[in-house]
Amino acid sequence: MLGAFLAVAYALPFAVGIYTESVFFDLQWLADFTTVLLNGFMQGGVYAMFGAGLTLIFGVMRIINVAHGETVMLGAYMTWSAFFGLGVDPLLALFLTLPLAFVWGWFVQKVLLNAVVGGPELTPLLMTFGLGLVMIHVVEAIFTTDFRTIPYLPDALRLSENISVGRNRLISFVMATVISCGVYIFLKKHRIGKAIRATAQNADVAMVCGINIFHIYMITSGLAAALAVAGGALVSIQFGFNPETGIFYTLQAFAIIVLGGRGNFIGAMIGGVMLAVMESMISFMVPNGTAMVELAAYGLMIFVLLIRPRGLLGEKTD
Amino acid sequence: MSNWEHLRNFVVLAAAVVALLFVPPIFSIYIRSFFMFMMLYVVLALSWNIISGYTGYVSFGHVVFYGIGSYATGILMVKAGWHWIPTLFAGAAVSGVFAAFLGYAVLRLKGPYFAIAMLGAAEGVRVIATVWESLTGGGDGIGFPNVENSWETYHAMLILTIITIIVAYWVGHSRFGIRLNAIREDEIAAQSLGVNTTFYKISALVLSAIFPAVGGGIQSYKVLYIEPDSEFFILVTIYMKLFAMFGGKGTVIGPILGAVILYSVQEITWIKFPTAHLIAFGLFIIFVARFMPRGLMGFAVDRGWARKGMVH
Repeated sequence: MLGAFLAVAYALPFAVGIYTESVFFDLQWLADFTTVLLNGFMQGGVYAMFGAGLTLIFGVMRIINVAHGETVMLGAYMTWSAFFGLGVDPLLALFLTLPLAFVWGWFVQKVLLNAVVGGPELTPLLMTFGLGLVMIHVVEAIFTTDFRTIPYLPDALRLSENISVGRNRLISFVMATVISCGVYIFLKKHRIGKAIRATAQNADVAMVCGINIFHIYMITSGLAAALAVAGGALVSIQFGFNPETGIFYTLQAFAIIVLGGRGNFIGAMIGGVMLAVMESMISFMVPNGTAMVELAAYGLMIFVLLIRPRGLLGEKTD
Repeated sequence: MSNWEHLRNFVVLAAAVVALLFVPPIFSIYIRSFFMFMMLYVVLALSWNIISGYTGYVSFGHVVFYGIGSYATGILMVKAGWHWIPTLFAGAAVSGVFAAFLGYAVLRLKGPYFAIAMLGAAEGVRVIATVWESLTGGGDGIGFPNVENSWETYHAMLILTIITIIVAYWVGHSRFGIRLNAIREDEIAAQSLGVNTTFYKISALVLSAIFPAVGGGIQSYKVLYIEPDSEFFILVTIYMKLFAMFGGKGTVIGPILGAVILYSVQEITWIKFPTAHLIAFGLFIIFVARFMPRGLMGFAVDRGWARKGMVH
């Protein structure tokens, strides 16, 4: 079912493109299409960053953090401030922003969310929603609602005569890959990573085995915030952002983790790339597509939840 | 609940209506509009309460019905030349049908997934309203011919408020409402006792979609200009949710109290602190969700000021 749905979803932009005669299948078009796919694939790295943090929190605590997109937005503003305020390179700024993000996630978990883990599922949803509102408007009070961008390596890297890749996209894809691999190895090999996975599997048993699960919750939340802020840094070097864009990142991240399987780290990577490729196909082939790309995330999210709630790689039991 | 109590409640409602009918002429147009918007939020909070308070399916995208209502009024009035009153019924019908289809799909989802799916649906409809320029005017929106209509809209909103309160009261005191409550408490148990849960959930969503559509229609005629970002504004959902939760979800009087109190507070504060008041609202949502999930009414029940039971 899910396979059939995804096939239809990916075929839809082609169908619309052929219908409106913006798809030609000549050599020039194919080269453009390859460029778009490649750029979409690279962009998928950033989306994977969005999804990774959300899926980590969900996997460990069964909480949907609706303020996740706002943390991404916060990361973009932190990078922007470091670039224009301190003159730090956006990628070097990660050394400054990631520890701060970790502390922020830790703090939010300790003050707000530790008390509601395992309770009614909607309480944390509402609380993070309120938190997101606070974050949006605090940032708005400081930076105003203007769109911001960081002019960072905007030139394109030519791979052949007709195919090119944005240099900032390539760099952000490499960064995303490095960070995700790092987190993956940390989760697999490090003692704390193993404790996080144990808590995700069964918090009670983990507690009996001597793991301080509230400590693990705070580390997880800090890690998730750091991943979101890393995503925000990668957003800031390739797209414009303003305080209100956070809600869209939340929904994208949610679509990604639903598609990949909630709580599954590798699933978030795959889902991120799939969503980004679909969005770039829509914006390339559908007329007025740049306004419609948002529909990809909403449509994927709702349909995957209905057709196969566990997504591509999720476990059967919820 | 005895007949006496029903009678008392209707006398209170009638007194409030009479007060609202005869007091406004002595006030300025600003006060009249303020009362109108306050009633709009009473309607919105009560409607949100039908699906989210009684039935327990918390909607994060209820603004979609409000937006559909305003667009129905805008399109039919400006492009088709209808009188504004029939457009309200058309908006309610479109919104109800949309809610039935949407509900058939998304009401299978539980708890947070329903909430997020509704949020996605609302944002999706906003994008469609932006993109479908031939119908909705796209991002430029629709401008209405300029008229002074503060009286008409005030009275229309008053009638809508009365109808919504009576329907919400009826839902709260009928078998229909008891079934919705049963779904909220334990859906599987309700099903095993023979409640057709799918039918009741969808009916609750349709019912809670009709009144916001009419309210949105009246509001669009009042402000005479609509565009996607303001008609599908996520803040409207936040207000509905917060007002109903603050007053006490799952009760009739709770959302009314919440809307009256908090709308007045926000009206006073936003002029002076346009950004700070939203920060304060965010903190307030956190506080209400964490420490008073049953709202003011729960607080009153605990102290014996209000009767325990399903609704008040």
